[in-house]
Amino acid sequence: MQTARRISQILFLLCFLGLFLLATYPLETGIPVDLFLHLSPLGQLTAVTAARAWFSGAIVSLVLLALTFILGRFFCGWICPLGTCVDASDNLLKAKSKNRSTSRGLNLPWLKYFLLVVVITAAVLSVQLAGYFDPISIVTRSTATVLYPLFVFAVEGVTGFLSSAPLLESTALKLDAFLRRFLLPVSSASFRGSILFAAVFFGILVLAFAQRRYWCRNLCPLGGMLGFSSKWRGYRRSVTDACTGCGLCEKKCRTGAINADFISTRHTECINCMDCQAVCPAGAVRFGFVKKPETASVDLSKRRLLGAGFTGFLALGLFKTGYQDPVRRGKAIRPPGSLPENAFLDRCVRCGECVRVCSTSGQGLQHAGLEAGWEGLASPVLLPPRGYCEYNCNLCGQVCPTGAIRNLSMPDKQITKMGTAHFDKTHCIPWYYGENCMVCEEHCPIPEKAIKFREERVKTIDGVENTVLLPYVVEDTCVGCGICAVRCPVEGDKGIFVTNAGEQRSS
Amino acid sequence: MDRREFIGRSAQLAALAAVIQKQSVFGSEPASPDLAVAKDGTPGGMVRRAVAELGGMGRFVKRGDVVVVKPNMSWDRLPEQGATTHPDVVREVVTLCFEAGARKVKVFDFTLNEARRCYKRTGIQKAAEEAGAEVQFVQDRKFKAVAFPMGEAIKSWEIYQDVLDADRLINVPAAKHHNVPEAGISLGIKNLMGLIGGNRGQFHRNFARKIVDLSTRVKPDLVVLDAYRMLIRNGPSGGNLSDVVLKKHVIAGTDPVAVDGYGASLFNLQPEKIPYLAEAKMRGLGENDLKKVVIKVIACTS
Repeated sequence: MQTARRISQILFLLCFLGLFLLATYPLETGIPVDLFLHLSPLGQLTAVTAARAWFSGAIVSLVLLALTFILGRFFCGWICPLGTCVDASDNLLKAKSKNRSTSRGLNLPWLKYFLLVVVITAAVLSVQLAGYFDPISIVTRSTATVLYPLFVFAVEGVTGFLSSAPLLESTALKLDAFLRRFLLPVSSASFRGSILFAAVFFGILVLAFAQRRYWCRNLCPLGGMLGFSSKWRGYRRSVTDACTGCGLCEKKCRTGAINADFISTRHTECINCMDCQAVCPAGAVRFGFVKKPETASVDLSKRRLLGAGFTGFLALGLFKTGYQDPVRRGKAIRPPGSLPENAFLDRCVRCGECVRVCSTSGQGLQHAGLEAGWEGLASPVLLPPRGYCEYNCNLCGQVCPTGAIRNLSMPDKQITKMGTAHFDKTHCIPWYYGENCMVCEEHCPIPEKAIKFREERVKTIDGVENTVLLPYVVEDTCVGCGICAVRCPVEGDKGIFVTNAGEQRSS
Repeated sequence: MDRREFIGRSAQLAALAAVIQKQSVFGSEPASPDLAVAKDGTPGGMVRRAVAELGGMGRFVKRGDVVVVKPNMSWDRLPEQGATTHPDVVREVVTLCFEAGARKVKVFDFTLNEARRCYKRTGIQKAAEEAGAEVQFVQDRKFKAVAFPMGEAIKSWEIYQDVLDADRLINVPAAKHHNVPEAGISLGIKNLMGLIGGNRGQFHRNFARKIVDLSTRVKPDLVVLDAYRMLIRNGPSGGNLSDVVLKKHVIAGTDPVAVDGYGASLFNLQPEKIPYLAEAKMRGLGENDLKKVVIKVIACTS
């Protein structure tokens, strides 16, 4: 069973990575690239709760939750890609099962329930916090913004090094072209916040120095949710009379689920990894269905429960009353088809699936800093001139796992206004230098053009009279895609910029 | 270079010199016209006729050559939207190259919309691959800065390695409206911009001089201008079918200025009055006065 569990972990991790790579143009319909995000009842159900609206994709997570009521935290041990990463890190860093510093208070199994209650309280009060803690959101976001770019950087480094050798150059270029067909992006992107996201992801892995599966047993609120749901599990660990009391199982247990008597189990902590069964020299450990299972207890005192509820309220209050900057807010250009702002923030689980898919297209979507206020931290915003929204692309709406971005038809998407472009007349070449330029108009994807010209006599920057075509934006036609700002040949601050003025948001 | 290769190359050079001499002494008669204009046929059929009229692809592509074919596939648009070269035009050019003995034909473009979308939706990737061409995405690291000895505004710019390495370059542009200053249209010479890297937007300031500078450094052996469909408004990317007219012309020639001049005339523009063509003529790149160009027009039946 231990081998089966390992194979399952590897297969699900490969499946996760495969779906990640498939989240790109051309996204063949029918491939559920956001499958893993649908599996997380934490992300899905808090989105449903915060938004007060049901969406059908969440049903997958209900199935998982129902199975957890019977089988316990099998998801953590057999499926979760972050859990698998943690296991790999534990092995590499030779983590010990027993916490070496229990006395210093590093063993905090109650904390995950505390965080769970914080997240749920916030969701009930209509603020979505799950995205920051949900392991599937974390692993998706980290893969998109940290791991994959690092991987691409390494591969390009190798092919670049090979191509610097005179005899290998053509082979290296051929290899590069070959890899670009499926493994590497056609053009690489950079991601805002990647250093922070890397700190979170590698921070979770480095916790191996404290304990095995440290994140899973102490911090993960999804683990808390599944642990709570395991209270009544029928499928559980039991020990027969053959037990010699050697204690090997307790020593090897990666989640600290085995009590000091080596026989009783904390079923809310057990992730069905089956290690105890494999190591038991007497063959005394069984996993199977128990007829009348006792209800297991969850490690959260009433005092902490109240504290968690209060913290959730506090988070809500701080987010809602935090400083709002109207100018900065204008930079929060949302993906096309985004729900109205409040509903959008309630649904968005910060997974970065839209950012990933956009990085293979116009490369416009990035995780927000404070553009959308504190409540909008890490939600997706379009950031020209870093990138733009590709006119014939509606992939972000297709991959959003919670419907925060609606899945618009192509004709609808093409006329959905995300914002409006504005000329900066102190940078624009015709306006400032008095010379012709039309690169913004050239790239404007609107068939009838949202940038037009009027001919005027102006003075060039040297004071010479010149007839020049001065560009202007047709506000009603402009959708705010931002390609004009990306292609503007002015270096540094561009001659044209986009705000979310006039954005269309409907549910 | 070994002895055999040396003799081969010398013979090629001698033959080339003879052809040039013959043309300068006797004009282009009776061998072949400067421009071959096929009309009213299918896109592929017109390409075949026009190239045949110039003396066949064998005049431009030799056995064993590596050929770069540069269509316009810069935009994420469908063939019928007229913003990109017709896929059948590209297919036919590639086929002709292989019939002439080309060892390898490469088709690519440094696109302006996302590359995979452009390659796929223009239909060119599929058509070119079916004809046997190698169709790869542009790799950033293959742009090499090279000097422009004849350049006036541009002394050096990044050019794509495959172009520098190729034996032959065939330019296969689409004829369309384009608001670029000093042009107003996008034809063959403008299409060369898909072979260069760097901040290409900078080209649009002082466009005529810069684009002519580029033409002094990147010289196609043959231009096949696709005017099967012409985007007459809202170029270069268009989108509305009402901005597209079915013109059913293909123009082939070796003089890039004459080809663009003829293309301009299809938009009812006078080539002599288009600044970049005037600049190109002034700097000796070709003839912008169509009255001085030998043109053969062929009405196709297929």
